[in-house]
Amino acid sequence: MRRIIDNDILTLLIRLIVGIIFIYASYYKIIDPQSFAKSIWFYHLVPGKLINIIAIILPWIELTAGIGLILGVYYKGSVALVNILTLFFIIALSMAIIRGISIDCGCFKAAAATSESAWETLKFDFGLVILTIFLVISRSKRWMLSQP
Amino acid sequence: MNRLVKQLLIIIILSTLVGLLRNSLFPNEIAIIGEWRDLSNGEEPVIPPTAEKGDPPFIAINVAQMEYSTKGTKFIDARDFDEYECGTIPGSINIPFDYLPEGDLKPYFDSLLGGIPLDYPLIIYCSGEECDLSLHLGRNFMDVGYSNIMIFFGGSREWESYGLEVERISNCEE
Repeated sequence: MRRIIDNDILTLLIRLIVGIIFIYASYYKIIDPQSFAKSIWFYHLVPGKLINIIAIILPWIELTAGIGLILGVYYKGSVALVNILTLFFIIALSMAIIRGISIDCGCFKAAAATSESAWETLKFDFGLVILTIFLVISRSKRWMLSQP
Repeated sequence: MNRLVKQLLIIIILSTLVGLLRNSLFPNEIAIIGEWRDLSNGEEPVIPPTAEKGDPPFIAINVAQMEYSTKGTKFIDARDFDEYECGTIPGSINIPFDYLPEGDLKPYFDSLLGGIPLDYPLIIYCSGEECDLSLHLGRNFMDVGYSNIMIFFGGSREWESYGLEVERISNCEE
């Protein structure tokens, strides 16, 4: 089992998958911060005055962490951040579902008021967290531009 | 310093700086401190007993406020002009249901709304729960082909009760 987890090619593949997902997820948020702020507001999880600053900064954290994973730069920090962010998204979506707020996640596009895709996104995030935890456990250090 | 903490700090500081820089340089800049209100008690839309299957969807105050914040929706006040001028959601267009012209309403709506596409989001409201004008006007809009209509049945009273911005054309006494 250990040998599979530490496999260089498998680890690189998962780095690429997770990195591309995070870079892709950051794209609409960076080009349209107003819509992303709206998506955050929909969740009613953070105070209104903090929403815009989160909408301005969070996508860049996603982008930087995604690039860090792929290139192997600030690797440990990038792995920690993709895990923290994925867990945060799961908690936020779960709370929205529990509280009956009918939305999709706003992960890859602006959240819509009436979509019922929150469950679908939650399943996707649970799949993603398996990959991000894999990166925590794997000891592979190949194909990185700097020391992890 | 622990390597992990150091890397986390570098990524977060770098992202913060780039994010703030991007926000200040590009045209779709947003304010750093947002004006989003916490409307966690207003998530259930008011639905009138006169609602029928096939009516436009009813939205809650939080959705109305969100649409207002993002400026991508037209608000239509279905009350008479004298009520409209005493206090309306800013930027609303007044289309009094009681004074709709006879005949085909499409050219009339087009002239008031500037020929917007039929799928442009519209939020129609009147004063509040005792008022059916928004619902009736919403049905008229549907009949002539508008497809993205929402009824904010809480109306101007619920809007004001949350302390949201109101535009007063004249100072009316209660």
